Amino acid sequence: MAEDIILTKGLNKVYGDRLKVSVLKDINIAVRVKSFTALIGPSGSGKSTLLNCLGLIDAPTSGSIIIDKTEFSSVNVNGLASFRNLHMGFVFQFHYLLPEFTALENVLMPGWIRSGRPENDVKEYALQIMERIGILKEKEKFPAEMSGGQQQRVAIARALINKPKLIFADEPTGNLDRETGFEVLKLMKEINAENGTTLLIVTHDREIALAADHIIELVDGRICKQLDVKKTGKTAAAKEIENRSCRIQ
Amino acid sequence: MKKTNKYEFMIAWRFLVKGRFQTLLIVLGISMGVAVQLFLSALIGGLQISLIDKTVGAAPHITVMPVDTIPKKINNEQGKISDNKKVFYSERREIFSWQQYVMEIKTEPGVEIAAPVVNGPGFAEKGDTVVPVAIKGVSAEGLGIYRIKEKLLAGGVELSGENILMGKAIAERLAAATGDKIFLRNEKGEQVLAVVCGIFDLGSDAANKLVLVSLDRARSFFSFDGISAIEIRVKDVFAAENTGKVFKKKFSNVKTESWQEKNRELLSALRSQSSSSGTIQFFVLISISLAIASVLGIAAVQKSRQLGILKAMGATDRSAAGIFVIEGALLGVSGAFLGVFAGLGLSVLFMSATDASARFGLEITAANILTPAALAVIASVISASIPARRAAKLTPVEVIRNG
Ligand SMILES: Nc1ncnc2c1ncn2[C@@H]1O[C@H](COP(=O)(O)OP(=O)(O)OP(=O)(O)O)[C@@H](O)[C@H]1O
Ligand SMILES: [Mg+2]
Repeated sequence: MAEDIILTKGLNKVYGDRLKVSVLKDINIAVRVKSFTALIGPSGSGKSTLLNCLGLIDAPTSGSIIIDKTEFSSVNVNGLASFRNLHMGFVFQFHYLLPEFTALENVLMPGWIRSGRPENDVKEYALQIMERIGILKEKEKFPAEMSGGQQQRVAIARALINKPKLIFADEPTGNLDRETGFEVLKLMKEINAENGTTLLIVTHDREIALAADHIIELVDGRICKQLDVKKTGKTAAAKEIENRSCRIQ
Repeated sequence: MKKTNKYEFMIAWRFLVKGRFQTLLIVLGISMGVAVQLFLSALIGGLQISLIDKTVGAAPHITVMPVDTIPKKINNEQGKISDNKKVFYSERREIFSWQQYVMEIKTEPGVEIAAPVVNGPGFAEKGDTVVPVAIKGVSAEGLGIYRIKEKLLAGGVELSGENILMGKAIAERLAAATGDKIFLRNEKGEQVLAVVCGIFDLGSDAANKLVLVSLDRARSFFSFDGISAIEIRVKDVFAAENTGKVFKKKFSNVKTESWQEKNRELLSALRSQSSSSGTIQFFVLISISLAIASVLGIAAVQKSRQLGILKAMGATDRSAAGIFVIEGALLGVSGAFLGVFAGLGLSVLFMSATDASARFGLEITAANILTPAALAVIASVISASIPARRAAKLTPVEVIRNG
């Protein structure tokens, strides 16, 4: 039986000091190692917040997050940064490439942060990834000189450079046209299969969600549905998502 | 402490290169500040050195004179003999035991020359022209105090026999040249023949009305049994006052005066000049610092997106801050480097623009160059620490969430 790489217990996130807004309410999830999980839900339901908490970028108000058997509530800022750098890759909705650096340099950046300086074998690997996802020709270009799809691929290459155990992607296809979006998704799935990386994607797109192994639906800060797509079957899963009512777990 | 990562340097460098206009502006600002500081301190330094050189370059640094009052007892109250236990005569208008004083003075470290002189008023006469002059009898060693050899316009410095040296002003008025015979007359109307051996220019009008004769000649000319004063030159001009104090403590029967005591006004003028130049330099430094702090402060806000991404990818708070400190240091170093060249260029320009007669040397020393340069670098790094702190505080989630 495969183990869980992410495990949360009673995760809560409250924003605001005086006017408290509860954004995540008692989230208990388990993400299998090497799986592909899609996080869906209406706008404002807390998907990004959850993803940022799981990615150790944001801190939950209460509850525990266990990643790769480590409990992170008492780890300091530097420890979190180092864990993110070594074991996590991020693809954000709005690329977030560094505009001052070329495509190749952007891809290399997590490697620079890891070892403190550029290293040749990392560069070699970066060029391999860029070739694999079809942006080798763009390596000397600056983000402003690339199309949205190209930029998103650079972001994906950057997320892969340190060979992370986990990749978090917040609407990675959100501002791409459908075709490019699917291409990017296909690429991520392939990498997930090849490298045994665990993949967590926030998406609005049903089709993309149905391509995942698991679907977690958030509504109003609570988990509404958790589906195992293979067990349920694609058609049944698709119907299940359509169903507006929540199973209170 | 963990050493600075190379990638922080690379990012800082790239941020600066990509922020072309901003970077150029701030580097120019720093270099202008450094140039002004360098030039100003070179100018003030040069001016002061030339003023001090005019004052004491060809004049005694310390003068030991007879006390012009009733002499004190030789023995003090305790019955001990004063003046460092050596028996000296009480002195009034002349110093009689001058050889002992000279010997004693020469034992003091830092003393270069100590020589007896005899001073007196008189007249120089050639043909129909009579000019009032100050006559000074000096020993060969004493000539060194006036650096006569360097200041000589014509002739030699041989003071034996009837030979005399005279200042440029007298020579002009008497229309005297070297080899000419003139008469010297004292207050009593006694007259001696003299041969002009050399003519000198000591730089100031008063000094150029001087006639130098040999010590022995002056003593008989003015009927002196002793001498008028002992003139002293020390190695470090600015130590003269302290050395003078030592003599004041040692000798109670003579009066000691250093050039600093004689030129209080000049010194206080120099001091206020230095302090006003220091004030200007201080405010130049402050404005450089403010400029850096504000430009880097803006940069820190502009780059918060990038910093957020870097932090999300695992850059530590320390690294984020380090980027700005490195930026500050790079700006400071390049500004200082350029500023030193600009300052030197300004100095060269100044030297060639001012006319030669009014020119005084600019004082360009390692300290004058390195001090503003080092201050600029330090100020830059300190000012950069403000945006650096901001960068350290930024959390990645602020950026990720808000775009
Ligand atoms: N700093 C904040 N202070 C207060 N409320 C916040 C803050 N950040 C987010 N929220 C609220 O938290 C809720 C969840 O936000 P989140 O960004 O996680 O939603 P989401 O599911 O990702 O939405 P979308 O699909 O539109 O991206 C929203 O209602 C939002 O208004
Ligand atoms: Mg979102």
